[in-house]
Amino acid sequence: MANSNRRSNRRARKILKSVATYVAVVVTVGFFIFPLFWLIATSLKTRAQAFSTPPLFIWEPTFRNFIDIFLKRQTEIEAITGQELELATGAEIFFFNSFVVTSFSIALAIVIGVLAAYSFSRYKPLGTNTLMFFILSTRMLPGIVVAIPIYFFYRSIGLYNTYLGLILLYTMFNLPFAIWMMKSFFDDIPKDIEQAAFVDGSSPLRVFRKIALPQVSVGLGATIGFLIINVWNEFLFALLLTERTTRTVPVLIASTRGEVGINWGLIAAIETLYILPALVLIFLLQRYLLRGMTFGTVRGGQ
Amino acid sequence: MTRVEVKSLWKSFGKVQALRGLDVTVESGDIVALLGPTGAGKTTLMKCIAGVERPDKGDILFDGESVLDTPPWERNVAMFFQTYALYPHMSVYDNIAYPLRERKMAENEIKDIVQRVAEKLRISHLLGRKEPATLSGGEMQRVALARALVREPRVLLLDEPISNLDAKLREEMRAEFKRLHRELKRTLIYATPDYLEAFAVAEKIALINEGQVIQYDTPINILRKPRNKFVATFVGSPTANILRGVIKLGKENLLLDTGEFQLTLNKTGLRNIDGREVEVAIRPVDVVLEPVSGQNLLRARVVSSEKLGTHTIVTLKVSNVEMKTVVKGIKNYRYGEEVKIGIEGDKPLLFDAASGEVLG
Repeated sequence: MANSNRRSNRRARKILKSVATYVAVVVTVGFFIFPLFWLIATSLKTRAQAFSTPPLFIWEPTFRNFIDIFLKRQTEIEAITGQELELATGAEIFFFNSFVVTSFSIALAIVIGVLAAYSFSRYKPLGTNTLMFFILSTRMLPGIVVAIPIYFFYRSIGLYNTYLGLILLYTMFNLPFAIWMMKSFFDDIPKDIEQAAFVDGSSPLRVFRKIALPQVSVGLGATIGFLIINVWNEFLFALLLTERTTRTVPVLIASTRGEVGINWGLIAAIETLYILPALVLIFLLQRYLLRGMTFGTVRGGQ
Repeated sequence: MTRVEVKSLWKSFGKVQALRGLDVTVESGDIVALLGPTGAGKTTLMKCIAGVERPDKGDILFDGESVLDTPPWERNVAMFFQTYALYPHMSVYDNIAYPLRERKMAENEIKDIVQRVAEKLRISHLLGRKEPATLSGGEMQRVALARALVREPRVLLLDEPISNLDAKLREEMRAEFKRLHRELKRTLIYATPDYLEAFAVAEKIALINEGQVIQYDTPINILRKPRNKFVATFVGSPTANILRGVIKLGKENLLLDTGEFQLTLNKTGLRNIDGREVEVAIRPVDVVLEPVSGQNLLRARVVSSEKLGTHTIVTLKVSNVEMKTVVKGIKNYRYGEEVKIGIEGDKPLLFDAASGEVLG
């Protein structure tokens, strides 16, 4: 009797423990997921529904907002003068701008970064440590500190309001990150593997392409993922250095208004479309991103 | 066929001096073993010959021509790396085919060669495996070996190529290397820390320690005429017993006074060492258990015995001096048991106690 009592006691405690675990998990995840849920929910509401109190949890979804952001002419507030302007196009131009700026700056940062990282890792040029620190130090200043000088600088050399301007700036922001991260992945490749390839008849360029690069593909995926997130989300410089033709989505979000007051449904729809690529990317790259986050702690653990 | 000359090679890695003026010449088509303990510099020497490490000083010549300025991918050397160094992102087949593809050989030709080598090394069933990291240690070793053997290089370098195989395959592979060497007639350099392997495979042995060649000789001479104490204690299993003492000249022989006991050594021709402190190497087979008669009869205590099937290694203590002996068959000796031993003093090897160099 006592025995079975104790056993059922133990089982009850076990069940309680797992229930508590699940509750904790649900609450935590809910806390982080809820804003996302509310964002998507709002994007599917009319203006009236979005403003209703108490908030609506059950309603008939509408795709009106998603149609509007592309078909309706947008107005925005000019960053410097505060003047309200009507835009010639819908949101697609902003998405296109974001896409152009992101893809070109990532491509540049990756090509330069990977080559630099490999050189630092393999050839250890004189002063490698100092150079690596210098490269990192360019990221130590908060962007806002250099915002004004860069604004005037860009205006005077004609990079203001150009794709090239933003692309170069973002490439510069991302390079330290790309170099540091990729170097650590290259450092993990055992020396003997590349030496074996040299003996087997491969020149350095072929060793890089056929032996080194394929081995860091996981790291490359992780690095690209992080860089895309950096650029896709950048707001400050996009706001400062662009005008209507080259403006990216984060700036659009900040400056979107409805005809009468703020139209939250419209903003939520833009935001939903805006986070979609990031969500898809993170989902596709989650394995790489996790590996990227733990790099340095699990050295060589492949 | 290529004659390889290594001339006073120096190489350091940071503070570690790996090679200290190492000299060795491998005649064209020879098979030479680099024998030495871990950290002796064998791998560094091989990497310098292959060209993936650049020596600080010295020269390496292939057929009389310096190759120091020839990059590794143009030296036409094949090397088996001790760490296997398989390409982790390639299948087993692609790993083995890699050196041939880098030489732009036709795919159907490559296929023939890869299959032939794989068969020889009994890894045909592994050719389709995608990830070499999932192979066992012995399998990886054979794949790496296959990659080194698919080509016909000027020089073939094998860095501990069979250390991870099981005993049976190891024996087969030793014979295979000899056969391969006869067939290919390539200059072959073979590094190993195992003297038996070196003796079995090579015609000449370069015994290396601390970045220098200590003795470069035939296996027989390494065994019978070691140049110094290091050589005498590196080859043999168990290795020679070293007794330290002072020499007294007798009429026809020498007397070694260890402080604990005296030994008579039948060595003539050494007249100028009276009173000198020396070390004497006594081979385990020269320590006889329960002798019927003979010289140097002593009492000893058994410390331990290892029964190894065909023979038993017995560790003994004579006073405070430890000695090992080998007896045939399986013998049981208890710990602490007192036994009579005889030490045969024929042709002993004497070394100067201070320098370790051989005397006489």
